[in-house]
Amino acid sequence: MSLLIALLLAAFAFSACGGKGKDTADIGGEPTEGAAGKPSEQADETADPTEKPLEEAELIWYLVGDPHADQAMVDEELNKKFKEDLNATVKLNFTTWTEWQSKYNLLLVSGETVDMIFASTWADFSKYAKMGAFQDLSGMLPEYAPKTWAEVPREDWESATFDGKIFAVPCTNPEFTPNGWFYREDLRKKYNLPEIKDVASMEAYLDGIKKNCPDMIPIEQGLEIPSLFRWSNRYEPIAGREDDLVQVKSYDTPRDVIIYPFTDEYVEFCKMTQEWAEKGYWSKDILSSKTAAGDALKAGKCAVAQMNPATAYGYFSNFEKEHPDWEGGYFPFSRLKGYSIANSPMNNGMAVPKSAVNPERSLMALDLLRNDTEYYRLSWFGIQGYHWDLSDDGTEIVVPAKGQDPIKNKGFWTTSWGWANYKLNLENVTTWEGKTALVQEFMDQQRPNYLSDVKIDTTPVKTEEAAIKQVQQKYSSVLFMGLAPDVDKAIEEYRDQLKKAGIDQYFEEIRKQLFAYYDEKGIE
Amino acid sequence: MKLKQDRSMILFNIISYSILASFSLLCVIPFWLILSGSFSSETSVIREGYGILPREFSMNAYEELFRSGDTIGRAYVVTICLTVTGTLLGLFLQTMAAYVLQRKDFKYANTMAFLIYFTTLFGGGLIPWYILMVRYLHLKDSYLAMLVPPLVSSWNIILLKNFMKSIPAEITESAKIDGAGDFLIYRKLILPLSVPGLATVGLFMALGYWNDWYLCNLFITTPEKYNLQSLLFNVLKKAEFLQSSFAGLVTTEYYDPPKETIKLATAVIVTGPIIFLYPFVQKYFVKGLTIGAVKG
Repeated sequence: MSLLIALLLAAFAFSACGGKGKDTADIGGEPTEGAAGKPSEQADETADPTEKPLEEAELIWYLVGDPHADQAMVDEELNKKFKEDLNATVKLNFTTWTEWQSKYNLLLVSGETVDMIFASTWADFSKYAKMGAFQDLSGMLPEYAPKTWAEVPREDWESATFDGKIFAVPCTNPEFTPNGWFYREDLRKKYNLPEIKDVASMEAYLDGIKKNCPDMIPIEQGLEIPSLFRWSNRYEPIAGREDDLVQVKSYDTPRDVIIYPFTDEYVEFCKMTQEWAEKGYWSKDILSSKTAAGDALKAGKCAVAQMNPATAYGYFSNFEKEHPDWEGGYFPFSRLKGYSIANSPMNNGMAVPKSAVNPERSLMALDLLRNDTEYYRLSWFGIQGYHWDLSDDGTEIVVPAKGQDPIKNKGFWTTSWGWANYKLNLENVTTWEGKTALVQEFMDQQRPNYLSDVKIDTTPVKTEEAAIKQVQQKYSSVLFMGLAPDVDKAIEEYRDQLKKAGIDQYFEEIRKQLFAYYDEKGIE
Repeated sequence: MKLKQDRSMILFNIISYSILASFSLLCVIPFWLILSGSFSSETSVIREGYGILPREFSMNAYEELFRSGDTIGRAYVVTICLTVTGTLLGLFLQTMAAYVLQRKDFKYANTMAFLIYFTTLFGGGLIPWYILMVRYLHLKDSYLAMLVPPLVSSWNIILLKNFMKSIPAEITESAKIDGAGDFLIYRKLILPLSVPGLATVGLFMALGYWNDWYLCNLFITTPEKYNLQSLLFNVLKKAEFLQSSFAGLVTTEYYDPPKETIKLATAVIVTGPIIFLYPFVQKYFVKGLTIGAVKG
């Protein structure tokens, strides 16, 4: 009996031991300056706030995604530098991709000590900022992250601001991620198919592949079709919600908001895809296909796969390595619209949760990571001389370093997107040489992004939203892939069901919020 | 002594054997396909699908899974240790509880049983439980976070209690008369007689520990402490993420999505040990089915 009690007590004692390590971080991490929020006493920005020796601190950071196998190695090197410069160490934790959204939520809501966390528009940044999950950085930035504060343009800070408070540090990496088609260019040339530049030429290409390559199927997955619809009709998604039924009719008419299943263009498009399905551009059981289009493309089974430019670069490199006789081509859908839009700067950023004990030190660390060449390269590419080396002209990197076995050592990468800074970035020598031209094209065609910074909160209509999603799941893919036997009837049913699910209230709510945003920003 | 088999017996045998055989085939074939697929090359699987025999033999999937050095090995060790420790400790605690509850001379047996059962009726939800584990018990990133939650379950206690009730109370009484203490009775008399029950509950617990990825995913942040299922699940989830709508927004240049054959190899690695273990525990199941049947 007493043995039992002793065992139980021992178990609890051990669990308490596990906690002690964390507690010392809480105690030892008292900020030396109570300056958060108080204006700095010295007016000049170059004043070093670290005149008193800094107390030792362990910073707990969270990033999304998986750690790289060599993460511990790189962390050690990084922490050596951090210890020297800031008397602090950074512990990088990763949420992995399994259930990352609920873990992200738990981290913020449970009040666990987290000093800095990755934040992004696609990680519900606006929702958490409104909820009060992040600390206001406006007062701390000029003092603890002066370089970043000076370098990041005012409009970028805007995308991280709510109610006049800055809740995150956006990255500096103009990203263009339109949807697009990566396709077999060598087959197009071989069968003399027209250059791909609009829907008609796409159809001709698919037709050509179907007729000339009997053991291939032109389209494997079907993700391509809905986005083709949206882009060819030049609809603009609101707040980056691409799959939403409510879209802005065109870039030039911001106040014209539509529900696309109710348009005539939709009926036309679905009839066209029905023809395509009958011609056999994709298989009848495409809706249950689990093969990734990219994998099928690499295996030579299909001819087209949808992807954004960044992924396409990877495929170009892959073709060079594994299929030198094939040629890849990429058609970004931005050409269908004639302009390109950069992603919101808050597509990647870092925020400080309310529970942080070392916000100032974290900002200082972030400042170093973003602006110091050595820190940047270490955290992005790994250890120089092991994971990478500079190329001969010093502008690119070679992965892995000379003398390393490329099979065992594939280089280093991690989800360090939160502190991306294109000015410090180095391209890999194996990157497709067409990348610079493509990025230049995007930058030339660029128009200001007025829509993705809109913050839409669907809580007032969340039941309607759930019902609409269900209806959408049921009808949308079937109609888009042309698999409904009678298109008109199916569309009528779809519209009917949407009305029953409350699409009108949903639409009204989004329109109201959107127009309020327009009024605030002065958009006509 | 072989019984003389008449016509109807032979007929019966033929029918029952064929039904059982076809049923077994239905169960075995999918697993066999997974096994053969895991030994095939990636391109052959995508082009031609699965086959009874690998169309293009290749150890690629296994090589890639084990290439990440000792990650899988370590995860295996973590999972095995957790399973063994958890099952033994859990059985120990739960059988003690069951023993006490089934003793007729324990005054508060009914109250305690009710209290134990009561806790299963409702729960605080994910967030309060998370806060309890992380902020009050400080179990974040600790092996105990994976060990403790599945350790004791009221369902198992009640199951064991009912099993022990079938052991005649006279045994306990006569041992008491001979002057045995409770722990001795528990250890030397009741436990050996409850082996089928122990095997059943033990197997469920072991399976639970073996298959768990949720606890690891939620609480563990140091890769060295990952358990097997969590590690392999991560691999699959990464592929799912890359195919989701988010993937359009992030740079996925360097992400190599796991291929079909890797998923198959994963399945084989994970279920392999269980398949080896099961035949050893099987005989206890059979015993357990019949032990309560004939009284007296």
